[in-house]
Amino acid sequence: MPLSGLDIYKLLPGGQKPPHPKANCKECGFPTCLAFAMKLAAKQAELSACKYVSPEAAARLSDAAAPPIRLITLSANGHKLEVGNETVLHRHEKTFYHPPGLFVRVNDGDGLERVRAVAEQVSRYVVDYVGMPLSLDGLAVAYTSGDPEQYAEAVAAVCKAGKKMLILMAQDVAALRAALAAAAGRTPLIYAATADNWQALAEVAKAARVPLAVRAPDGNLEALANLTAQIAAAGVEDLVLDPGARGFGDSLLALTAIRRLALKQNLRSLGYPVITFPGEGASNSCQEAALAGQHIAKYAGYIVLDHFTPATAYALLVLRTNIYTDPQKPIQVEPGLYPIHNPGPDAPLMVTTNFSITYFSVRNELESSGRPGWLLVADAEGMSVLTAWAAGKFDAERIAKAVKESSAASKVAHRRLIIPGHVAVLMGELEEELPGWTIHVGPREAVDLPGFLKAAW
Amino acid sequence: MPHVLFLPAQRSAEVSVGASLLEAAQACGVEIHIPCGGQGRCGRCAVVVQGGDGRLRRRSTIRLSPADIAAGYALACQSLVLGDLAVVVPPQEEIARHLVTAKHAVAVEPPAGYTVADQPLQAFFLALDPPSLADQTDDWSRLQRGLAGAYGVSGLTADMDLLRRLGEVLRSADWQVTAVVELDAWDRPAGPPRLVDLLPGRRTDALHAIAVDIGTTTVSLFLVDLMTGRVVARAADYNDQIRRGEDIISRIVYASRKAGNSQPAANSVNSANLVELQALVVGTINRLVEQACRRAGVEPKQVYKATVVGNPTMIHLFLGVPPEQIRLAPYIPALNQVPSLPGAAQALGLAIHPQATVDCLPGVASYVGADITAGVLSSGMHRSEALRLFIDIGTNGETVLGNADWLICCACSAGPAFEGAGVEHGTRAAAGAIEEVWINGDTGEPTYRTVGNLPPKGLCGSGLISLLAELFLAGLVDKRGRLNQGWPGLRDRPSLGPRVRRGDHGLEYVVAWAEETAIGRDIVLTEVDIDNLLRTKAAIFAGFTSLAEAVGVPLEAVEEVLIGGAFGQHINVEKAVEIGLLPDLGTGEGWSRFRFLGNTALNGAYLALVSRAMRQEVRNIANKMTYLELSADNRFYEQFMSAMFLPHTDARLFPSVASRNT
Amino acid sequence: MPVTIPQTKYAGKVREVTIGATRAEGGTRSRTVTVGGETTLPFLLHEGEMPHPPAVAVEICDRRPADWSPLLYEAWGEAVNDPATWARAAEAAGADLVLLHLTGPVQRADGSTPTAQEARQAVRRVLEATGLPLLVFGPGIADLDNELLVAVAEEAAGERLVLGVCEDKNYRTLVAAALAHGHLVDGRTPMDVNLAKQLMILIRDMGLPLERVLMDPSTGALGYGIEYGYSVMERLRLAALNGDAMTQQPMLVTPGEEAWRLKEAKVGDGGVPAAWGDWAERAITWEVLTATTLLHAGADVVCLRHPASVAEVKAVIARLMAGGKDGK
Repeated sequence: MPLSGLDIYKLLPGGQKPPHPKANCKECGFPTCLAFAMKLAAKQAELSACKYVSPEAAARLSDAAAPPIRLITLSANGHKLEVGNETVLHRHEKTFYHPPGLFVRVNDGDGLERVRAVAEQVSRYVVDYVGMPLSLDGLAVAYTSGDPEQYAEAVAAVCKAGKKMLILMAQDVAALRAALAAAAGRTPLIYAATADNWQALAEVAKAARVPLAVRAPDGNLEALANLTAQIAAAGVEDLVLDPGARGFGDSLLALTAIRRLALKQNLRSLGYPVITFPGEGASNSCQEAALAGQHIAKYAGYIVLDHFTPATAYALLVLRTNIYTDPQKPIQVEPGLYPIHNPGPDAPLMVTTNFSITYFSVRNELESSGRPGWLLVADAEGMSVLTAWAAGKFDAERIAKAVKESSAASKVAHRRLIIPGHVAVLMGELEEELPGWTIHVGPREAVDLPGFLKAAW
Repeated sequence: MPHVLFLPAQRSAEVSVGASLLEAAQACGVEIHIPCGGQGRCGRCAVVVQGGDGRLRRRSTIRLSPADIAAGYALACQSLVLGDLAVVVPPQEEIARHLVTAKHAVAVEPPAGYTVADQPLQAFFLALDPPSLADQTDDWSRLQRGLAGAYGVSGLTADMDLLRRLGEVLRSADWQVTAVVELDAWDRPAGPPRLVDLLPGRRTDALHAIAVDIGTTTVSLFLVDLMTGRVVARAADYNDQIRRGEDIISRIVYASRKAGNSQPAANSVNSANLVELQALVVGTINRLVEQACRRAGVEPKQVYKATVVGNPTMIHLFLGVPPEQIRLAPYIPALNQVPSLPGAAQALGLAIHPQATVDCLPGVASYVGADITAGVLSSGMHRSEALRLFIDIGTNGETVLGNADWLICCACSAGPAFEGAGVEHGTRAAAGAIEEVWINGDTGEPTYRTVGNLPPKGLCGSGLISLLAELFLAGLVDKRGRLNQGWPGLRDRPSLGPRVRRGDHGLEYVVAWAEETAIGRDIVLTEVDIDNLLRTKAAIFAGFTSLAEAVGVPLEAVEEVLIGGAFGQHINVEKAVEIGLLPDLGTGEGWSRFRFLGNTALNGAYLALVSRAMRQEVRNIANKMTYLELSADNRFYEQFMSAMFLPHTDARLFPSVASRNT
Repeated sequence: MPVTIPQTKYAGKVREVTIGATRAEGGTRSRTVTVGGETTLPFLLHEGEMPHPPAVAVEICDRRPADWSPLLYEAWGEAVNDPATWARAAEAAGADLVLLHLTGPVQRADGSTPTAQEARQAVRRVLEATGLPLLVFGPGIADLDNELLVAVAEEAAGERLVLGVCEDKNYRTLVAAALAHGHLVDGRTPMDVNLAKQLMILIRDMGLPLERVLMDPSTGALGYGIEYGYSVMERLRLAALNGDAMTQQPMLVTPGEEAWRLKEAKVGDGGVPAAWGDWAERAITWEVLTATTLLHAGADVVCLRHPASVAEVKAVIARLMAGGKDGK
């Protein structure tokens, strides 16, 4: 049971009775002991900042040191992929922290040309989404040829194609050793240890200091837990789970169960990220995408696709970004000029902020009015009109900048800008920032927009 | 058939057993006023029944105190006749009684054991030996010697202005003078004592000072006679700064600009707009000083000290300190613990004695200021173990939760609706303001009471709360605050029309027709007004629920809810709970957990003015309070959206409230 | 050490809502569709029940909409020119429900304003063309919605249509029409848990039984705000399962409308970055992923536009409803 701010306060100098001489001393950087306690409760401060907390209190206050789901790191050429360390079942409870890695599988048995081609495609793929470049994380190279040298060549080819992460899907020790040598300098994931071979694979993983995936048959979580416990005891602590569930229903159940067990029951032996293979459970590539999408939303740490196309990669990368956005941060829309109902050059031009809710409510009002119009969204750091204005993030300068940087001037023939009623005070200043433009003060509430446009435009 | 006799009318009726007293009265033409339409809600139909209890059954006594019941009071609409009775119908004025749910502001009293000798400000009468050839001591030393000899006050200082007048006053008064001396200040507890004024003759019967609360919307003032420690006059008015911005942010933005030039002046103390704002608030204060002084027969120039409270922005603007940083991250005021300012009255333009000290009480953070620390001081919540919640129902909706061990506070921009601003027919709680409304649940017709029983000018905060509650209970507005034009029972009165009609700003409800009002127009409540009220109450509710949630304390654990605000002299807790402004702590005993403290900021300023110990206490309170920034997480927004409903989206939080909407 | 799959038991459940009425029930539908009744989070069939699978509605219009993606015209062919033909095509494509969207002036090539008479005729023709239960949404312009939907409600009395969209500004008219003629309403609010609850309360206060209300939390498409709606839906569903009576409604989402208004769906080769890949694959994936993601948040009725999406989404639903036995 997490301690509340008040509970923590009672353990700090300020909460002592009679008051400790250092109560509210501010040396921790916070104005009062209660303020510090609340930050601690929200995990936004470190207990070490207070020099005067008693040892007993410090012991009470230190949480379980290890996170419920281990953080696993893969690396390649200075880049890292960190997965794990999740603390909630639903993103709205706090946030999801580490987006799952998206991988594409190649088989060494398909021949070096093919391996090279896919590796290059995957490594080069990048797509822009609201100003962020998104790309896949790496390749999973499966050992199907039976020839360790061929495997090593395939891995080398993948490494050469780009700086992506690697998953080595092989259970043959010789093949793995050869592949690890070929991938020197990277930290790949080895897939996978089973009840039959875990000692050998654990040794390889331990020697190479790389994480090891563990697989149990057919969704048997108990077998999986026992296996990971054994492997961890043998000295390999960076593990990844494959519960063996390949379909929609069973993978939902398995991944949900694992997440619940790790978080709610602190079951260490299942406190690891999960790897999934949506291609294996899908009848076509659209189904694979849907299953991969399910895994993104429902608890996967590594997702290995069998098919790669730009369209699907784009969609999955965007979904991953969306689900792993911090819900605490105000949701923002991309600044820019948005047309409503096919506006022409005479349609009204309105400006508002890029706080999602503001944008959607204004847009909805405009759409429901049936009137064509241009909606210019200015970057106000995701704040609503009033909040942004109060904080100086939605002022004449910024609005003028938004107008100039957008294509508004070329899309509208007139030079009239409607500003939200709440910032009426900016009118004069804005006219100076935008010479040649007339500023109209619109209503304060979005709901009054249609009426306003009808009367005033 | 039981026989009921009504006095003093001397009319009687025979009714069947089980008929109500109201029916009996109606049967014989005796008029009993029923503002709520006989629903047992308003308590206005109380009559005195003579005769044993066996002949009367009170179906509900929710409006009557045990003492009332013992004295024979019964609600005519809720009491049933079982046998012969004699009933006295009291005159209407008597019936305008206090409801158990009406809370009146606590009277302002000097602290126990008050004596002027404990005051930092003193008036010392001196009968000085005139100078002579034998005693050629200079005037200033003579004065100092007199003061030290008679009163043990040494180390006196004075400013130039006084030194220049010294000789003339002494001689014109024949060496009998009264020295007004400030012995010390909160930040100079060891003095040195300062000569504030020198008056001819003995002038020790009164010594005046003011306590001022500079609210964003309303400025209020007490004129205090330090000789007795009593408040001798009060005055209040809207803050003239409103014309340059209704809210804090607008005024900060205005202050930050050079007049006539749109470029921001970046924190310039010379900004003409800042100067203007400073002058506007001082102008308001001076007007109040003049009013109060006139009422008390005092010369403004004989007010020798001003203790001032207000939120940080108000204090900054009052002192002419650039406020720009208050609103920009990381939100840093220039001053929290303001040094005491001797002789500042002149520089600030105050109409009191130019040498008067201006003492601004301390604030806590950029949005929680001296008004709140003073409020805490006056509430006494910092001295008790009991967990208390203090809510200031004002423009900035500051809230404090805690007790002697810990205190946490927050502010939310609630808006001025409860002070009457931002509402079409809103007004301050002055003569002619509607302060209570009852609506007949069947006809939708209102009955109201105004301050001073004068023709109505508008609705003050208490009136708005009660009107909104009544509209909601009757089902005239839905839980979202929207008026229902199709409410069954609405009548279309000839030449007047229906009570719910379409106005310029959407639908509106007519509270008073033009023919009844003092303003020559209908007094209405519009949907825009209701929305404003909803937002204001939602912000306040969300403020204290977020606070409780942040600390991890359930609201049920709060032992007492203290209410402050400048919106009136009383608040009806039941109505405030009905609209979801105050938490539902249960009826009956629950209502007694609320206390209305009136203008706590002003009361606190007054206490800090009259008591050195209180002045130090408020400083400690400011140091100790933890400020919670509500915008830091989504919690406040969630609570706010949840509270934008009558009484709340989660009906379980308000089990006592049942409207006709369900 | 033994590991048991954790099972959460909830105190509350989602209401069941039935759309459509057969002849015996006063309508003319060949079957009805019931949604809701869940006793646990989406598809966790090992710990609770989902007595009804989520239903797929296909969106058609009363005439050819002027502003749809070229891919949709291609997919539906001539059917878009006539609502009756289109309804039959929707049924053939596997729809469980038909959503008839009445076009407004902006969606019409001739810019005309729809009339009550036209709306009645369109609904009449669709009711005759298909036996599937029907949802009817107005053009989304407040005054027009009221006028058209009131007429539609009367025309289709007894058919238990879902009338949409009902919002807090205009709920009285639509709810009154639903009450008078035995229909249901879709109550839409802008992505906020509290607003959603409030609208349910207001509708219930008017006397419409909650078994005749769908909750529509508004959701953005993938990449355009989906996560906001997703979390609102998760929160609403959790509240429902934890006993909050005012959130225990089945939820309706419109991935068709949201996904197909985007550039991703409307603009093809040459007008978009190369990284966006194949147009048709992208557009359909966009609609499908939006829909399936929302299914995982508790969507009970998903409204789609492309026939290929219908097939894919139905396949996913079938596999999820198979309860963990659809793998190996």
